[in-house]
Parts: sequence; C-alpha cells; structure tokens
Amino acid sequence: MRAVQTDPEIYELEQRVVHHAKAFERTLPEMRFFILDSLEFMSLLEKYVYPVSPLNIWEGKRMVTRKHRVETGQEASIYYEVVQTGNPSYAYLNSTNSPMMQASVMAHVVGHCEFSELNVLKDSNPDRTEWVIYLSRKVDRARQQMGEINYSQFWNACESFVPLIAPHSQFNLARTVETETARQQETDTYVSEDKPVPRLTPSFGTLDSLMRNVSPETTWQKEMQAKQRQETISRTGFKLKAPCQDIMGFLCRHAPASQSERAVLDYIYSVHSTHDFVIRTQIMNEGWAMYWEKKIMTELFKEQSVKGIIDYARVFSGVCYPRPYYMRNPYHLGFYLWTHIEELYRDGKVSLDFHEETSQDVKDHWKRPSTKTPMQQMEHLVKTVTDYEFLRRFLTPELVHEFHLNRFSKRQAQQLRIPPDSIVQEDRYNVWIDPEPIKNEMLNFFTHFHRPRIYLIDTDFQDGGLLLYHRDDGRRLRKDWIKPTLKNLNLIWKAPVYLISRNWLYSFSANLFKETVVTAVRFESILERMRNSEKPFRI
Amino acid sequence: MYVTDQINSSESEGAFNEFVEEQLENLVDAILTEGDLENFGERGSDILVEMDDIVAPTFVYGDEGEGGGGSGGGGPGSGGGKIRFNVPFQYLMERVARSLKLPRLVKQGHGKIKEVSYEFKTFAPSGIVLDKKRTFKRALRTSIGMDLYAPHEERYEFQFMRRDRRFKVPERVEKPRFKAVVFYMGDISYSTYGERLRLEKRLVNFIQNWIDYNYGAKNVDHRFFVHDAEAYEVQAEQFYQVGNSGGTHAAPVHQLIHRIATNEYDPASTNFYGFYFGDGELFDDDAKEIVKILEEHLRPIFNRIGVIEVQPGRLSLLNRQIATQFYRDSIIRLGELNDKLETIEVIKTLFAEH
Repeated sequence: MRAVQTDPEIYELEQRVVHHAKAFERTLPEMRFFILDSLEFMSLLEKYVYPVSPLNIWEGKRMVTRKHRVETGQEASIYYEVVQTGNPSYAYLNSTNSPMMQASVMAHVVGHCEFSELNVLKDSNPDRTEWVIYLSRKVDRARQQMGEINYSQFWNACESFVPLIAPHSQFNLARTVETETARQQETDTYVSEDKPVPRLTPSFGTLDSLMRNVSPETTWQKEMQAKQRQETISRTGFKLKAPCQDIMGFLCRHAPASQSERAVLDYIYSVHSTHDFVIRTQIMNEGWAMYWEKKIMTELFKEQSVKGIIDYARVFSGVCYPRPYYMRNPYHLGFYLWTHIEELYRDGKVSLDFHEETSQDVKDHWKRPSTKTPMQQMEHLVKTVTDYEFLRRFLTPELVHEFHLNRFSKRQAQQLRIPPDSIVQEDRYNVWIDPEPIKNEMLNFFTHFHRPRIYLIDTDFQDGGLLLYHRDDGRRLRKDWIKPTLKNLNLIWKAPVYLISRNWLYSFSANLFKETVVTAVRFESILERMRNSEKPFRI
Repeated sequence: MYVTDQINSSESEGAFNEFVEEQLENLVDAILTEGDLENFGERGSDILVEMDDIVAPTFVYGDEGEGGGGSGGGGPGSGGGKIRFNVPFQYLMERVARSLKLPRLVKQGHGKIKEVSYEFKTFAPSGIVLDKKRTFKRALRTSIGMDLYAPHEERYEFQFMRRDRRFKVPERVEKPRFKAVVFYMGDISYSTYGERLRLEKRLVNFIQNWIDYNYGAKNVDHRFFVHDAEAYEVQAEQFYQVGNSGGTHAAPVHQLIHRIATNEYDPASTNFYGFYFGDGELFDDDAKEIVKILEEHLRPIFNRIGVIEVQPGRLSLLNRQIATQFYRDSIIRLGELNDKLETIEVIKTLFAEH
C-alpha cells in the first residue's frame, strides 16, 4: 500500500478531480487515496474495507476462496473502487488500472463521500477507519488475554449475529432501550390513541389541586410504571421499552461480557454496522456517485487531463447496464433516476401545481422552474430521504419500462416461469413484463431486506433469559440452524435464551435445547404490551 | 496507519489453513481407523476431500436437512454445504506415513538398463499384420493410375496388386528399466467375491499408492498374476475377477514371478515387491514348495514379500507353514485380513520396520 502522492501522474489526477469537485461546490470530507496491488485489494475487501483486522478464520476462508476463484478464472481480480467513508475517507485504487480508470474511480469516490456526509442517516463520522484500527489492536490484545480457544469460540458465536445489526431500523437501540444516560431520547413515531386530555386551567391553590379530575388508579399505574422502570434501570442499567431489532448492538452494550469479549463485540459491530446504511441507500448512493463521476470525468476529458473517452464510455455503459428489477443494479437505476429527477426539477415538475394539473398537454409542456436550482433540490433530497422514499416518490411504471427493469431474457423468463399473459412486449431475445407491480416489489425489499425479522423483546424472560421474537411473514425459519444460533447467543448472554417463531418457543440453556408449543402472538400485541410496560410474552 | 504498511490476510489465512489441516488430520485418521482406503482415489492422482462448509449459523429462511446443522459455540458451524479440497497425493501419503509411522521404502538401483519391447510403429511391404486401410489406398491409387478405375467414364474396375500390400511392422523400443516392480498374486480359485474381494481391492489399492509414493508413479511397474491350478499374468482389472476353476496350486505363481523377475528385469538394479492374497487353504506340499521358492529364489532378490490370508478358514495353513521358517522376518511379512478394520494393521505389518 502506498499513498497516491508516490505516483506523480495519479496524484496530479487526484488534484484535478478534487479541483472540479470543489468547482461544483461539493461538500467533501478529507479524502485520502492509496494505491494497492491486486492481492492487497482482495485482502482489503475481506477486511470489509479497513486496512487491518484481527486474526479470524472467517476472513481467512473468504480470502482463500477468493484467491482460488481468481486463480481459476471464476472471478476477475480487477476491483475498480473501494472506499471507506467517514472523515477522513479512505479510498483505495488498484495499481493495475489505467490512469483514466483511476480518475474515474476518484471521481466516483467524490460522490460516495459527499453522499455519506449529507445523507439523512448521517453515515459519515469522524475517524471511522482510525477507530476500527484501534479496535482491531484491542481485539489483538483481547486474544492474548482470552487464549486462542476462548477467543475463537467467542468470535464464532458473534458471527451468528452479524445479520442482526440494524442501527438504522425503526426499532434501533436509541428508540427501544432506555438507559440512565439516554432516558430522554426520542422514543418512536407512535401516536397515542387515547383521547386528548383537556387542557387544565392554571391553578395555584391546594384546593384546586385536590379538586383536579385525576383518577387515582391511573396515577397509581403511572407511579408504579415509573418505579418499575427506575428499578429495572438501576438493577440492570437498561430497560427495553420496545422490540429491539439491533440485537447485536444490544449485546454489544449490555451483554455481561468481559473486557476482552466486549472488545470483540465492539469490533464486529463497528465493522458491520455501516452495511445497514449501505443497504438502505444503495440506489441513491451509487446513482449519486455515478452522476458526479460522469460530470467530473467530462470536465477532465474536456481539459484533456485524461485520455480514452471511448474506453470510459464502454466501462460506463457496462456498469450502468440495465438488469431486471430483482437483480438490483443500483448504478444503473440510481444514475438514471437522478438524471431524470434533475430534469423534473429543472422543469419544476416536482410541485403541487404540476401534480394537480389535469391537462396532459399542459403537463407535457410544463416549464416552471423553481427559485432553487435543481442541484439544491437534489441535495435536499439526499439530506432527507433514503432509497425507500426515493423510489416511492420518483419511480413510476413508465420509468420501470424505460429503464428496462421489467426486461428479462427469454431464458430467464423461462426459468422464472413468467406467465405469457404478464408479457407486454417481446423481441427476438427479451420479454418485458407488466411494469405496474414492480415498484411495490422493489419497495417490499426495504421492509425485510430478504432476511427474517428478529427482535429482542424481553431481557428478563423467566428470570434473566433473553427472549427473541421472529416476526412471521409467511416463511419458516430454517429449523436446524435455530439450535446452534441459540447456542451461540447463550455463549454471549451467559444465561438462558429463547426464540419465539410462530407457535414454537425454542430455548437453549445449560447446553440443553428445548422446543415447546405455545400460542402464537402477533407483533402488534407485543408492541402494545411493551408500551404498557407489561411482559410481552408469558407462557 | 502507516502508508508503507502492507495490507494482507496472511494471519487469518494461516488460521483457516490450520483449521482445515486439523479437519484433514481428523479425516485421515477417520479413514485410517475405519480402513476406508478406497477414498484414496486413482493411482497418484490428487485426492478430492470433502468436508462440511464452515458457515456461522444464523436465523435464516429455508428448510432443514441440507447437510448437518451448525455446530454453534465450539467452532464454526456447518452450513449444510460442502467445501472441497484437492489434496495433493504426496501430501496425503505423507500424513498417512506419519499416522501409521511407516518408514520410507529403501530405493535401490537406478534403472540404467534399458528394457526392450516391440511396438507396431512402422509399415513394410511384407509382414504378418496387414494394414487394410493403407493397402486399400495404395490399390486405389494404382487402379486409377492404370486407368482401370475411372468413374467419369463409368469404369469401376479395381485391382489389388501384390506390391500394394502394406503390413504393420513392429519396431524395437527401448525403455528404461523400472526402479520398482510389484507383483500382485491372487488366488482366484477360492470364493473371491463380496467382502473378500472388497478387502483385497482396498489393500491392493493402498499398496499401489504407497509404492508409487515411495518411488514415484512413473518408476513403478505393477504386475498382476492370478492362479487356480495354474498361474498366469492378467491385466489389473482382471485381477479381481472371480475364477471358477476347481484346483488350487499356489506354488506356480511364485515360480512365475521369479521367472519374470530374473528374465525381464535386472535383479541388481530393480526393487522387487511381491504380495500374495488368498485364503491360505492349500495342500501341505504346495505350501512347503512355496516356502522353498521363497527361501531359495525370492527372498534373496526381493525387497519385501507379503503373504496375506484374506478371511482365512480353519484349514488355512499357508502362513503357518511360512512362519515356521520366516517368523518375524524382515523381508517376508505375514498378515491376516478378516475385516475392514484390520486393514491398517495389515499395512503396518507389511511395511513397518521390524
């Protein structure tokens, strides 16, 4: 690994890219570029884009597999762009790329870094890479303290809960777990269904206070709830007030772990927690990066800082090649959607007037630019929404068809058994299906991300047990993996652990796995009970 | 972070490789304990080892039953999938040697002497084996030249002239003499089928691999002989075929390999190995004759001779008879193979140091 300054040509290009980014008034953190060889690149990817990582066999396995795939030609070893955002951001260039490719990578990185700075999820944080390097060293020390066997056992157990990291979920730690230090934080978007209490007139006398119409039962309940909450927090340091989806985050903070174990938990959580941001903003983020990459590259070609515009066009069209909606090519969809949105803003089509206009002819010739520039409005969008809202607002059936998100090769159509009556267009190689339902299909992804939704609902189930809940969406959990996963959870929580899935209660305690039939309980009921400070589930 | 740092995963790769080696060690142990030597595959080829893939168990959708469940806690879990490794033959045999504490076989001779054989590589106007295709081509050319065969004039006469005949002629080929020759002798008169056959096959497979490993596959000549009342050489695949002849006379096969060893090879520069497989139920004089052949002819020139009674019966006497003369002999080793689990013990008997 070497700094970009060691290569005068690439360094010059970096200067030009940053110059144009600033000329376009981009909001950028400090960006540090490094040049890596192919092997370093592979390794970096397996370390989740951090330069160091503690010893673990999972990384080893991925690395061995990747090397084998590259050696046997199953995978190309060319990786174009890898960036760890944050402030400073660290971007890595592959030494085998041409100067033109390096320039395009740097321009692309500009887009990612800015998106990370601006986006509503506030992904960018100071010294992220440095923090992970520090944690990595801490884990190295922890390994010495724990001994190899305990260390690998604990790490392996933690790996089971990497998919249960959800810092940006509606049910994240901040909204679901009350602690002494964070009692006053935002709860959730729940709106009380109780009738509004009539505003009381100001009273100054004892008699007025006594005459106030307050039911003693309600007062008693509120007092008891407050007392219970206070006691729980005093005893355990936290209280669960709603189902928590960020289970790994919870374990990281509240599992009864030694310092060494906590170091491992912290490291794994820190390294993987950014994936939640990526998955929730991938289309916007990649689209934004492609958009700025193209703008900056056009400037570089104009001033002849780089050559090879044909090659660039070839690579760009390859990256932005349309794929069917379920394959999700975020570069393609994001880029074209941003370009489309820019046009909408330019013509003032994102407005109530346009929306309420009934004449199609007027709409077709609509040109009423807003006082804000399209770019200001696009930036506002970046600052306020994520992929779900982005698609919900702007993706229309017409765009689905225009972007070929509903296009399948005939072979794919045959494999997917697409019924002939849903085909709306056909040529020699491809078929286009009805674009109407596709938007909803794409939006559904954001409710579950193709993963089971698991929540932590009780931390004191049957005297200190941890109770997880699987929110049923019609699909069963893989049964033979429940036991080992609970076993791993038991290793971390060091007390009995339970899982409710449909009408089954699975438990793991003292090396004993049990399955019990129980009455299935709906997620909404659990939510309601927890709001009322009741036990969410009783046998 | 220092800009001169090298990003690498070598430590983690090492940890993973160690883990795999551990698994492999267990696998080899299991193979050796169970005697499942057929897993060793074809001679000298890499061995495809399959083990449960390591995947962290987690809550996922899907049906169970795709392989074993994850292990949880103690180590990486099994995700139901498999990971496959191509284990080099050399590597596996080294592990086997280490596990069984087998010494390397002593190499003698250098294969300087060339062995002569004849292969049909050339053609001539006289000989024994007529090459029909070449002869026809030449005859056609002659017929056209003599204007006998002219399809455009609707003349289709065709003559075979004596001089058009072409014969395949053997050519003398010299090859370097093998550094090691292994003679496998099997009794096909007894009921060699089912479990007996499997036991024998497994052991022969291991011996082939072991000697290939010691001398290098290219330097070993494996030759197979069977006998009932008579002895003859067969191809490897015919070695396991069941004969149906009545009598059993094992001495001739020992005589035969002695003849071949001395006539076709240079005993001074070749390493001879001989392994006899049978139920040991022979006539008394036959066994005595074998002992005599072993003592006078084979033992002086062979590196190792193994006599293995496969599932011997009450009347089996061959090993008993040989043991009277060669008890705990360094060259002549006697083994008894009753079931799969004894295979490893027999291997140790055959190849371990005395």
